Amino acid sequence: MKDILYKAFFDATQNAFKLMLNILEVSDHPAGDFKCDDEVDIAIGVTGDLQGKVIYRYPVSTSLNIVNIMSGMQFDAVDAFVTSAVSEIANIISGNVLTALSENDMNCDILPPEQCKLDDDKKYDINTSCHIRTAIGEICLEIRLNRA
Amino acid sequence: MLWKESYEIGVPLIDAQHKELFRRVELFLQVLRSEVCWDEKVQKVNETLEFMKGYVVEHFRDEEEYQQSIGYPGYEAHKQLHTGMVEYVLEFSKKYEQSNNDEQLIQQFGGKLLAWLINHVAAEDQRIADYAKKKG
Repeated sequence: MKDILYKAFFDATQNAFKLMLNILEVSDHPAGDFKCDDEVDIAIGVTGDLQGKVIYRYPVSTSLNIVNIMSGMQFDAVDAFVTSAVSEIANIISGNVLTALSENDMNCDILPPEQCKLDDDKKYDINTSCHIRTAIGEICLEIRLNRA
Repeated sequence: MLWKESYEIGVPLIDAQHKELFRRVELFLQVLRSEVCWDEKVQKVNETLEFMKGYVVEHFRDEEEYQQSIGYPGYEAHKQLHTGMVEYVLEFSKKYEQSNNDEQLIQQFGGKLLAWLINHVAAEDQRIADYAKKKG
């Protein structure tokens, strides 16, 4: 299940970057290589057959690059607009993953995106990280889910 | 420019509406992100919000009619996406009015609208075009 989820989130992220940003260079790397001190963390809660959350860790530079490409404007700092835009991308990716999972009889729903902190003491059946590098920066997805 | 030719789905009415939607959103973002003080841009922002509320509903209706006319199998799911967005816009609009035109709220709205619109047209609507092409 861990591998299926990892691949589903990577594929959905790759697809979103291709269709929304025209970024074709997207690859995954060992999670330990992801180092970032200044990031925007967005949690998408998951309910249903799987329960928990997926945290999208966007470094500030990646967040700004994403919004600059989408808007054709220059954003120099993370604000409510930028946070909301990258939150919606997290929402879109997660929604597409759950649609793909539903085709394999795994039925889940997602909760609206929320800005969050990484700290979490809970134990999860599935706890994996997907470190993704793209031509406009890195992101890391922390997948933390329990089977219902 | 926000609009890209690759977003076209090959249906003149829908493509024209998409272009108009992108043009309006682009103008909206330019006003929203301009350096002038909030009091100066609030009227323009509010006018655009009012336009969007009407235009989005009209466009979604036309697009859904087209989907039905070609027997698009993803019609119900696509309609749900439209309904969800209309509900979000109306809910947001109410909250924004109640907040007495809070700038942070409309900045959040702008960010979500931009990402939602690009994904919807570049990904979801392209599935309609793919189906129409296959159907011939």
